[in-house]
Amino acid sequence: MDVQEAVADSTAVASADDNGDAKRDGQRKFTMGPNDSLEGKLVYDGHVHVDGRAEGEFKVTGNLEIAQGATARISIEAANVNVKGQVEGPVTARDKLTLGKNARLSGDIVVRRLQIEDGASLNGHVRMGDIEQQGSGG
Amino acid sequence: MSSKGPAARNRTSAPAGNGSDGEHSSIVLGPRDRLVGQLYVEGDLRVVGTVEGELEVTGSVEIDDGGKVTGPVTARDRLVVGRAGSLKGDVRVARLVVQDGAAFSGRVSMGKAVEAPPKPVEPAKELEPVKLPDAAKLPEAVKVPEVDKPVQPVKPVQPVKPVQPVKAVQPVKAVQPVKAVQPVKAVQPTKTPQAKGKRR
Repeated sequence: MDVQEAVADSTAVASADDNGDAKRDGQRKFTMGPNDSLEGKLVYDGHVHVDGRAEGEFKVTGNLEIAQGATARISIEAANVNVKGQVEGPVTARDKLTLGKNARLSGDIVVRRLQIEDGASLNGHVRMGDIEQQGSGG
Repeated sequence: MSSKGPAARNRTSAPAGNGSDGEHSSIVLGPRDRLVGQLYVEGDLRVVGTVEGELEVTGSVEIDDGGKVTGPVTARDRLVVGRAGSLKGDVRVARLVVQDGAAFSGRVSMGKAVEAPPKPVEPAKELEPVKLPDAAKLPEAVKVPEVDKPVQPVKPVQPVKPVQPVKAVQPVKAVQPVKAVQPVKAVQPTKTPQAKGKRR
């Protein structure tokens, strides 16, 4: 139920596109606000901005960003993952994972490229290299 | 010229002396350097060459410019893997910086729990047992056990007995004479029983 409502909101927010990401590469954007929460599995064709609280599994064809102050207990799979908040769970970045200076990530990560800024906290196993492409990923 | 020459030399030699004091050293493994084994550094380490083995550093470690480390790394302060650096091994650090382009794989443990084990080199000399003289002084201070005698005066608590007056309450039981209403002889003890009896 919450997911459907969130999706409906996301379309509205995507049209507002304050970041301009949506226009840049023509992909949709799913945006959660600081008071939103999502529990469950989200498969989304586009970018996702997570704020507030998220729990479950996120599979994203585009980029996924965890905002500062957000709390996420999720498994993540996305092209680029940018963490500024707190994440607990495994992360797969088909391209690049970035941990901001206030990021806290606890979980094993598989990435092609990795960038960790000073101040970030990471606990987990890191594996770098080419990531097996999934046929259904498109 | 001759007078200024020595002064200049002293200044240049001073920083080199700091490095050899062991207080805070700074080591650089250059591009043609290669270390295989275990390295413990009190200070900072910069790796531009190749390391195969275990690194433990009290300060910071920087791997960059083609530097390649294979093995576990412990840094009590910060570990930096530059964009041209490569690290393959488990890492225990307080702070971690990985620049875009760096190659890095292994388990990362971060947090305040990064307290490196005791120094492997140079110990033993400071372990002399200085505790003995302290122990000799202790018994003198303990010789003050005169407190036992004054405990006797506790006995004079006798005055508690005057609780006797409670017996005076007995006369209340004298109400029994209610039965005595039948025999007129019972009137002798006191006048009060009579009064009560008549009121009923």
